[in-house]
Amino acid sequence: MGKYRGWLIAILVLLMAATWVIVRTPARLGLDLRGGAQLTLQVQTTDKVPQITPQVLAAVQGVVQRRIDGLGVAEAVVQTAGDDKLLVQLPGVTDPQQAERILKGTAQLLFAAQKPGTEAQLQIERQLQAQLLLEQAQLLAEQAENANNPEALKEIEAKLEKNRESLEKSQQAIAGLFTPSDLTGAMLREAFASPVAPGSPNWSVIVRFDNQGAELFAQLTKEIAGTGRSLGIFLDDRLISAPTVAVEYAETGIVGGSAEISGGFNAQSANDLAIQLQGGALPVPLEVVENRTVGASLGQDSIRDSLYAGLAGLVLVLIFMVAYYRLPGLIADLALILYAIFTYAAFLLFGVTLTLPGIAGFILSIGMAVDANVLIFERTREELRAGKTLYRAVESGFDRAFASILDSNVTTLIACAALFALGTGFVRGFAVTLAIGIGISMFTALTCSRTFLFYAISIPSLRKPNWFCPKLESFR
Amino acid sequence: MSFSVNRQRSLWWGLSLVVILSGLVAMVLSWASLGSPLRLGLDFIGGTRLQFELACSATQTCSQPIDIDAVRQVLNQQGLGNSSLQIIDQYGVSIRTVPLDVDQRTRLRDTLTQKIGDFDPQKTQIETVGPTLGEEILRSGLLALLVSFIGITIYLTLRFQFDYACFALVALVHDVLLTTGVFAILGLVAGVEIDSLFIVALLTIIGFSVNDTVVIYDRVRETLKLNPDLGIKEVVDQAVVQTLGRSINTTLTTLLPLMTIFIFGGDTLRYFALALIIGFTTGAYSSIFIASTLLAWWRDRQPPRPATNTLETTPTP
Repeated sequence: MGKYRGWLIAILVLLMAATWVIVRTPARLGLDLRGGAQLTLQVQTTDKVPQITPQVLAAVQGVVQRRIDGLGVAEAVVQTAGDDKLLVQLPGVTDPQQAERILKGTAQLLFAAQKPGTEAQLQIERQLQAQLLLEQAQLLAEQAENANNPEALKEIEAKLEKNRESLEKSQQAIAGLFTPSDLTGAMLREAFASPVAPGSPNWSVIVRFDNQGAELFAQLTKEIAGTGRSLGIFLDDRLISAPTVAVEYAETGIVGGSAEISGGFNAQSANDLAIQLQGGALPVPLEVVENRTVGASLGQDSIRDSLYAGLAGLVLVLIFMVAYYRLPGLIADLALILYAIFTYAAFLLFGVTLTLPGIAGFILSIGMAVDANVLIFERTREELRAGKTLYRAVESGFDRAFASILDSNVTTLIACAALFALGTGFVRGFAVTLAIGIGISMFTALTCSRTFLFYAISIPSLRKPNWFCPKLESFR
Repeated sequence: MSFSVNRQRSLWWGLSLVVILSGLVAMVLSWASLGSPLRLGLDFIGGTRLQFELACSATQTCSQPIDIDAVRQVLNQQGLGNSSLQIIDQYGVSIRTVPLDVDQRTRLRDTLTQKIGDFDPQKTQIETVGPTLGEEILRSGLLALLVSFIGITIYLTLRFQFDYACFALVALVHDVLLTTGVFAILGLVAGVEIDSLFIVALLTIIGFSVNDTVVIYDRVRETLKLNPDLGIKEVVDQAVVQTLGRSINTTLTTLLPLMTIFIFGGDTLRYFALALIIGFTTGAYSSIFIASTLLAWWRDRQPPRPATNTLETTPTP
């Protein structure tokens, strides 16, 4: 039976690939399992911003992302959800109060003039801050790497905490070197990235103010022009840029309400800053419309319970199949175990975040995956009772059951599609896991069971109709 | 043919009607007392749920269990008198209030800590859902339900015929009504609330229930083609009997993991599993006793056609 040997090898290769994926890829656990906070923020409209456009949402997303980076949470996720919402996931954050406060406010853009005689100090402080930020990035990377090592994690978290404190201090020190002006983001009309010269790889950010802002900006620039002191641009109390003003503006300041912030930007970073400024300038309040926080150990309890429940359910199904369907039942069990391995590997491969409902969907799909085999074996039995040979009976079992299997799976997929298209968050997760499960169960039931079964009946000692249909004689 | 679903079809129809009607009555009662046909959970109406556990519960050094009156007192002081609260395993407490903002929540937690003791942050669970978001979840859930109804009807009309699709839809509505009815009753007598997982459960039930119906219809179509002269009642009876083993076994293999989740799984999934258990059981029932008998009844009333519809592929040689 050469052609079944070929399939057997193919299945074996797939199994090895799946095992490799499972061993190599850490599972992405949802916040309900690993603990953490999930916030849904709704962007509110105001008189000035009567409509939330995708640009507004992107700007707000940038601000929120930056604020979360400021919190120093590893693997934080900020996604847009719908037309006016942001979904923020903060793994490991058990105290959402702090997160909520920081995320809720409007980004504050502030312009300030450097105090006289602080040039050297500012340079030192900025260097220190750059170093601290670099260290933070390194620590966050380490934290992500050591996700499965609680001891190392503790150490890294302690370091992160220290780093955060130092950053805070350095920020305050820097802020102390500046005198805040009355010019704020509320007066900014627009900010956009632009190349310094056409086709140049160097970019700058152009900002434009309204009338009042233009006046204040002129005053501010006049004050520091040619002194070597810089104009501090603060976003949420953090210095993001400190350009100096050339001496030729000492007479009038920069007039016209437009300024160019340049200095080592590429297209990407210039655009980022423009979005940040724009975002800082947007007086759109955020409202926390949903907040779910789960303690880490609560999540672990539920993983364990669901896992045990799932395994118990799986074992019961396996026992039932052998008891009822005999040899084909045993083969279906093999296919079912392959199904579980393949599906789990697929989850990891597609980066499906495992949530509690997702695990439920997985366990459920194990029960449903049996259905295709049950349909086939019932058909095989009928054909055997009708007097067909074993080979023919198995063959027509597969052929005849196919239409039913296809139709019934397509209808379930339709429900999945509806769930995915219209649901949000974990509802979507459930739909995806169920759909992947259905796809793979079609494969394992039709291909794996078929290969094993035909391979089995190619072995003479296994070719016993009674092992396929007990009490067959009484029907003939 | 010893077993005939069609012989006692008025019994099956009556049985379903009685259960569905009692569910509807429960929904009406629930509407009168709660303002909605089912007891809606946090996900839909918004609010804040806080779950705390004393830090000492893990080390078992707590001197005394949480006093529910003390918690109630704190709530009353903060103007949250009409919140519902529950003591969990002596050292834990679950509080459900109107939506609270960060400051109100912090104040509540701090006061409780002062009065009762330190809570373990590892076991804290906080959920706040704004009322608008809840409405949105409910609306999108119902829309998903409707869309999948339509999608399934179209697919079945293409694969079978329009009347097949209609009766499959009747069976679906039957399962959805019955499951929601049971949860309306549970909401009234046991205070069971539905959350967004309930909508997920309903959609899964739809997919599964149609599975069963399709398998039987598939058999009906095949039997009709092989025996064009046989009456529709006999054809349906035969098809049901031939697929009965499969229906029972598949329902069983699906119910086994659900039962284990219901019994051993965590709190979050318990009622989700229960909804699926009820839905899958009625799904199997409605396919066998409702969708097929309705089809036989309907086709029986039609004037005889010159030829049956043939859309099926040829059987194996």
